[in-house]
Amino acid sequence: MTQIHRTATSPIARLQQFFHAEESPYGLALVRIFLPFAAMIPMVQRFFVVRELFSTDGTSQSLFEFYGWDNPLPVMVPQLAAACYGLMIFAMACAIVGWQTRLSFCVGVPLYIYFNLLDTVGTMTKYSVIASHLLVLLALSRSGTVWSVDALLRQRRQGKAVTAVPPRVPVWPVRLMQVLFCFVYFGAAITKIQTEAFFSGEQMRYWMLSNWNYENPVGESMAMWTPLLLVSAYITIVWEMVFGFLVWRPGARLIVLAIGAAFHFMTWLALGLYIFPAICISGYLSFVNEHDVVRLRRVAHRLHLPTRWPGLPFRGIAQLLTRRPASLPLAATWIAAGLLTAVAAAEFEYRLDVYGLRTGKGPLPLRPMEQEAAIAMISDNTPLREKDKYFSFDIGTQLVGGQLADRRREYDYGDVIIAQCNLNPPHEDLWVEVLLQDDQQRTIEQSGLIVTRDQLYANFAYQTGNALLPGRYSMLLRSSGKDISRRTFTLRGDPASLPEMGELLTN
Amino acid sequence: MHKRHWISRLSANLFIACYVSCLAWGVAAHALKMGLSGNTLSYYVVWDMFCGWQAYDNRTHLIAEGRSGQYYDLRAPWGEFCPFGSTARIHYDVSNRLVPKHIRNVLKHTTHEPIDRVYVVQEIWPKQFNIPDRLWGTYFEEPCERMSYFNLRAICSESGSVLNSYPDWYARQTMQSISDNPRLQLAARRAQPFINTFASPVRDSLAQSPSFESVGGEMLNTN
Repeated sequence: MTQIHRTATSPIARLQQFFHAEESPYGLALVRIFLPFAAMIPMVQRFFVVRELFSTDGTSQSLFEFYGWDNPLPVMVPQLAAACYGLMIFAMACAIVGWQTRLSFCVGVPLYIYFNLLDTVGTMTKYSVIASHLLVLLALSRSGTVWSVDALLRQRRQGKAVTAVPPRVPVWPVRLMQVLFCFVYFGAAITKIQTEAFFSGEQMRYWMLSNWNYENPVGESMAMWTPLLLVSAYITIVWEMVFGFLVWRPGARLIVLAIGAAFHFMTWLALGLYIFPAICISGYLSFVNEHDVVRLRRVAHRLHLPTRWPGLPFRGIAQLLTRRPASLPLAATWIAAGLLTAVAAAEFEYRLDVYGLRTGKGPLPLRPMEQEAAIAMISDNTPLREKDKYFSFDIGTQLVGGQLADRRREYDYGDVIIAQCNLNPPHEDLWVEVLLQDDQQRTIEQSGLIVTRDQLYANFAYQTGNALLPGRYSMLLRSSGKDISRRTFTLRGDPASLPEMGELLTN
Repeated sequence: MHKRHWISRLSANLFIACYVSCLAWGVAAHALKMGLSGNTLSYYVVWDMFCGWQAYDNRTHLIAEGRSGQYYDLRAPWGEFCPFGSTARIHYDVSNRLVPKHIRNVLKHTTHEPIDRVYVVQEIWPKQFNIPDRLWGTYFEEPCERMSYFNLRAICSESGSVLNSYPDWYARQTMQSISDNPRLQLAARRAQPFINTFASPVRDSLAQSPSFESVGGEMLNTN
C-alpha cells in the first residue's frame, strides 16, 4: 500500500496522470466548435482572392521566401487552388459540427497550414500559427466523441442506453493546448522585456496609432494616456509570466483566465485585433473540464435555460445524414460532398473573374498618374520638418514613469509646471528649449538642454514661485531655433501666499 | 489489446516530449536570440508579437513609367485586397520581397503601353497625424498639418527585376542623424579598406534574385 502511494506521488507518475488521465472531452469539443469557426473567418474572406494570393496566376509569397529560401511548397494553378480552398472550408465546417471529425481535420488542417504558409504578407500571422497548433492537436484528439454529429449518429446506431455515459478519453491533447498557451504567454513576456520602450508606453502608443489592423477608436483615445499604457504594460507582463504557474491551480484558474479574456478583449479595443482574440479565447475553452460542464448544466437547469437549442443544427445534420441510401457509407458521403464543394469552388472562382479579364473589354487599363505628382513622389528630397521630429508637447504637474500623467491649463502659485516633449525616432541629437512667455509672447524665462538621439522624451520643470503676476502665459517648445509648439496656461492665486523668492531661479 | 494500448501510450509520450521540447526551444532561442536567423519553422514556436515599432507610418507606392513618358499608378485596377482592415496587402510587405511579383502580376493582367521602369516609393508620415480629427483638438493646439515624405526605394524593370535599390527612409534618416559628426566621419574614412574584404560569393548569388533588402535598421514587424 505504501509502495502504491509512493508510486502515485512520484514525479513520473504525476506526469503520467497529468497527461494520460481520462476525461469526457467537453473542453475539446468546445475548442473544436469555436476555434475552426474563428480561424475560418479570415480564410472565407480570402476565398474571393484565392487566385491572387495562393495560385500561380497571382502573387503568393511563402514564409520560406520571407526567410530568404526558395519556396519548397507547390503553388497550384488557380482552378486547383480554388478547389482545395473550397475543400478546406468544407472540411473545417464539417469539423465544427463534428461530422467525420477526424477525417475533416486530417483534410482541413494541412490545407489550412499550406494556404497560410503560402501568403506570409496578408494571411500568415501569429494568430494563424496559434490556430495551426490547436488544429493539429484537435486532429490528434477525439474531440468528435461528444457534442457532434458523429456522437449523435453513434447514439442512433447503438441506442441511447449504450451511449448514456459520455466517453472518456486521454487528456493529453487538451493538456498540450493548455501548455501551448503557457509557452505563448511566457514567450510574449520575453518579447516585451526585450522591446525597447514597452515599459514607457511609447511602443503601445505608436501601435495604437498605426492603421495596420482593424479600426480601434478606443485605442486612438488611449494612445495619448501614456501612464495608463505604462500601468497596463506592467500588469500584462506580470500576468503573462505567471499564467503558466497559476492556471493549473484550482483557486486561481478562473481568475487567470478571466484576466486573459479581458486582456484579449482589450487588444480588440485598443489595437483593432479581431481574429487574434477570437482564436485565443476559443483556445481557452480547452481549460473547461467535465466538472465545469456539470456545474454549468446545473446552473442552466436552475435558471430554466434552453440547453437543447445549441444542439439543434447538429441534430438536423444528423437527421439529414440518416436519410442517405443505406449502401452509402458516411465517409463516402463526406468525400462526395467534399468533391462537390471543391468543384463548385473552382467554378465559382472562375466566374468571379478577379482580374476583370472577361468583362468584354479585355484586361483593365492601368491608371494614369499626373506627371507632376509622379515626379514629386519619385524625386522628393524634402528634409524632415523640425516639428515632425516631435510627437507631442504638453504641460502638467505629474510624472508617472517619466511620462506626463496630467495635462493642465491652470496653475496655482507653488506648482511645479512640467513641460514635456515626446520625440519621434530616429532623430539626431537636438538642442531643445522651452520658453516661458507672457500673453504678449515676450520671453520671461528660457531653459534648454541637449536631447540625444536615443532619448524619446525630455522634461523641463518650472517652479512657479511668486515672481510672476497672475494671468495668462504660455510655454513654447523651440528646437534648433524653430518654434514647434505652444501651450497656454493661466496662473492664478495670490503671489503673496508664498514666501518671497530668492534672486536665483532653479529652472 | 494491451500491446496496442502500450504502443498508443508510447506514441503519445513521444509526441508530447517532442512537442513540449519544440515549444521550449522556441522560447529559449527567442530569449537568447540564437538559432533563429533564416530558420523558417522557428516562426511556429517563437512568440514575438508586436516586437517592433516605428514612430512613422509608411506605405508603398509603385509608379510605372511608360515608353511615352506617361506615368501610371501600379495599384491593382481590379481592387486591392485589404487583409486586416483598410490597408492594402502590398503595404504589409515589410521586406519588399513581394514587390517584384506584384509588378509582374499587375502588368500581366492589365492593358498598357510598354513600360520602361517601375519606381518603388516609400511614403512616410509621423504617426501623430493618424490621430482622428475628433481627438486632435484635445491634445494639440496646432492645426493638423500632415505632410508625407517620399523616398525612392528601388527602380525595377517591367519584369520586376530590381535595377537599382536605395536605403529605406529610416536607415537614411538614421545615417543623416549621425553623419554630421566629424569624429565619426574621420573614423569611417580611416577604416575604409582599400580592397573590399566582405565579398561573399553566396551573398552575391543571392543578390541576383529579384528582391531588395532594407539597408540597416529593423523593419516594421507586424506579425
